[in-house]
Amino acid sequence: MEETKFQNQNEKPHVGKMSSAILSRRQFIRRITSLGLGAAAIGSVLSLLSCEQSSAPGPLEPIPSSSEPLSEKASSAIASRLAVARGGDPSALVRAVLKPLGGIEQFVKPGNDVIIKPNICVAYHPPEYAATTNPEVVAALVSLSLKAGAKRVRVMDSPFGGTPEQAYDRSGIEQAVREAGGEMEIMSPIKFKMTEIPEGRDIKSWPVYADVLDADVLINVPIAKHHSLGRLTLGMKNLMGVITRRNEFHFNLGQRLADLTSLLRPELTVIDAVRILTNHGPTGGDLNDVKTLNTIIASTDIIAADSYAATLFVLTGADIPAIREGAVMGLGTMDLEKVEIEEAEI
Amino acid sequence: MSPRNAKNSPTLSPWRCMRQAVQVLALLLFLYLLLGTIQSGTTVLPHDLFFRLDPLAGISAMIASRSWLLPMSLGLITLALALALPRLWCGWLCPLGTLLDWTPGHRVLRKSGDMGRFWRYGKYFLFFAVVLTAVLGSLALMFLDPITLLFRALAGFILPGLNILITGVESWLLGVAFLEPAIVWFDGLVRGTLITAQPFWWPNISLVAFLAAVLALNAVRKRFWCRYLCPLGGMLALFSRFAFIRHHVDSEKCVSCGCCAVVCPTGAIDCQQNFKASAAECVTCLDCLDVCPTQAISFSKTATRRDTAYDPSRRRFLSLLGLAAVGAAAVRFFPMLGQRVNRALHPPGTTEERLLSECVRCGECIKVCPTGVIQPGLSSPIERLWAPVMSMRKGYCDYSCNSCGKVCPTGAISELTLERKRETVIGVARIDRHRCIPWAEGRECIVCEEMCPVPGKAIGLRGGGRGREGVQRPVVNEDLCIGCGICEYQCPVQGEAAIRVSVID
Repeated sequence: MEETKFQNQNEKPHVGKMSSAILSRRQFIRRITSLGLGAAAIGSVLSLLSCEQSSAPGPLEPIPSSSEPLSEKASSAIASRLAVARGGDPSALVRAVLKPLGGIEQFVKPGNDVIIKPNICVAYHPPEYAATTNPEVVAALVSLSLKAGAKRVRVMDSPFGGTPEQAYDRSGIEQAVREAGGEMEIMSPIKFKMTEIPEGRDIKSWPVYADVLDADVLINVPIAKHHSLGRLTLGMKNLMGVITRRNEFHFNLGQRLADLTSLLRPELTVIDAVRILTNHGPTGGDLNDVKTLNTIIASTDIIAADSYAATLFVLTGADIPAIREGAVMGLGTMDLEKVEIEEAEI
Repeated sequence: MSPRNAKNSPTLSPWRCMRQAVQVLALLLFLYLLLGTIQSGTTVLPHDLFFRLDPLAGISAMIASRSWLLPMSLGLITLALALALPRLWCGWLCPLGTLLDWTPGHRVLRKSGDMGRFWRYGKYFLFFAVVLTAVLGSLALMFLDPITLLFRALAGFILPGLNILITGVESWLLGVAFLEPAIVWFDGLVRGTLITAQPFWWPNISLVAFLAAVLALNAVRKRFWCRYLCPLGGMLALFSRFAFIRHHVDSEKCVSCGCCAVVCPTGAIDCQQNFKASAAECVTCLDCLDVCPTQAISFSKTATRRDTAYDPSRRRFLSLLGLAAVGAAAVRFFPMLGQRVNRALHPPGTTEERLLSECVRCGECIKVCPTGVIQPGLSSPIERLWAPVMSMRKGYCDYSCNSCGKVCPTGAISELTLERKRETVIGVARIDRHRCIPWAEGRECIVCEEMCPVPGKAIGLRGGGRGREGVQRPVVNEDLCIGCGICEYQCPVQGEAAIRVSVID
């Protein structure tokens, strides 16, 4: 009541000239409400559209990204191929390990958009501490990919300890990648999209970094490290860097890593065992826990690569829950007897 | 020309243009330095320039901490400016003053006349109260400082809110396919510069509420805050009473139109006393020069100082001082009487006692913290209001960061080398076995152990041996724990974490 009085008092002098130009409070509110309703309507239409976009390909094409790189039936029937290179400097090791697999050209075609996913989990230590992937290994993969004609090569991870800027810097990876001609991308929260995992046994969907799914080639470059819950962190565990809600992911880690692997299926996994972290992983910080092996393992079969890397810690693939579950799901070969292993000494 | 038209006078004299340009530049500089206060940030000028130029912050910090703070002595420049021209800082440089100039009034409530001179004493009272509290060793009232109040509101609430808002709108618009390149481009532009990954915390709305109240008072009078309340304004007013160059009216030219009194943003011009301006109230905006139809006003050297009706007499000053002393004693000692002191976690390199006497509540540490673990404290009454506390569910103290000590303008948080900071104990983590997932439910988790950054891990494990069904359960090694809180931050238990950092007494 008071408000209307107030309004009338103020409105009266204007009525003659200004009523057409100036809105009364009531008109204003009415207009705002209709605008709001309009916006809400547009919003709901937009969100419906976006829902359709993300759900449409689901039932029609179960796993578009997986069909091309690695046909799983073939990999479990015929032996997977795996290469190991030992001795020598990291970039020579990368070249040596890729040769038996047909070189990087086997994976990276001219014009491809390539994402390399190293392990840059914390911003705490320089690479000597073996908490983050060897920068020379990453840089070698960047320059080989560019040489093979890649349109662009991006390197990214989302550290849990410290900012990405600082982690990229302290790991030495940023500088090495820049010099090799690649880009470091800081993963933006807006690009994580809830993604269906059609083959998932425990998780059916999870927020995943969209660019990693959209890229032509995903090269997974973990460093081999100790990890209490997962026992080791290798190729499968490294994929956790491209998702959010990671702390909840731990409840059934082995199965969930296998589920995530079934979605991402990196075209190539290159395990950096130049230095390995044998205890107090994944963060490290004690040079006494670091062992220098000057070894690199590569395979298109992430399960085989992880299973082989486990032997460096005097374990077998069957000791690591994620590898075990991955093999059960038919994502690759855990039994190294069935894997064709090419060894190169430099 | 009638006084009513004078308000809308469109003339833009060179002086007025210059002042407005300086105001805009100073505000932009303030925002640039604010946004530049990030972990990896380097700014052209010192990031805390405005706090160094703030003589109220400088003097009270030096008094309360009983030490000479060299960087903070830049405030002498501001005092010198106030002695040269009346409150030049307020009219030309203060970012809050600029915002107040832009804040519109209410057409009914706002009057051009004054509210009575007792209101004018408010700023002196608050200034005395701030300084006398500092004499008693507490900087509690520095939350009233205009620079800290603006910086805190932006750093503690507005920017984190902007982060949520921009991220939300972007994510929503990403649903529209054709917009994607534009949004990704925009996101790359603002993320890391305008918006950082700091968490949004509702209770910090108190910071904005305070700022909003200060701006809202503009509805009643132009620059209400600057006229009646601002303690920094009060301090500068004391100096500007003796200003060398000041407002002067040529009484032969003056036609008593009153235009100058209408435009004066601080109501400094007294119509009853031949349109003389009080040098303590004048902010040297020079708008009166513009508006005067007969060019009767000049700013010139004046030999003798004459008080106007606004300026408190010596007796008034003494009574204000006495009143402020009572207030200061209340602020300093009342919270100590019969109350349980609830200690909080503080950034590494400081203690509760040091924050009381050295922290000017500026909010630089809150702004720079990359994880947002440093938040303005709200739990205590006035004595520790908005001083930094660590809130481990909002963020964690990054093992590779020592930024808070680097940016603190008064050294309330010591600048530690990264090596020393990594050994500095903030608190100690303790596990609540009734809530911890492996302990209480027998399910696997141990996220805390994985996250622990201490070499050798301050969180050990029990059970879960090889080949056994046992689940690994975390235990804290209190000798190694530095209380960084990443375990508490990452603990997947909903609500309060099952592992929490406690204060060590």
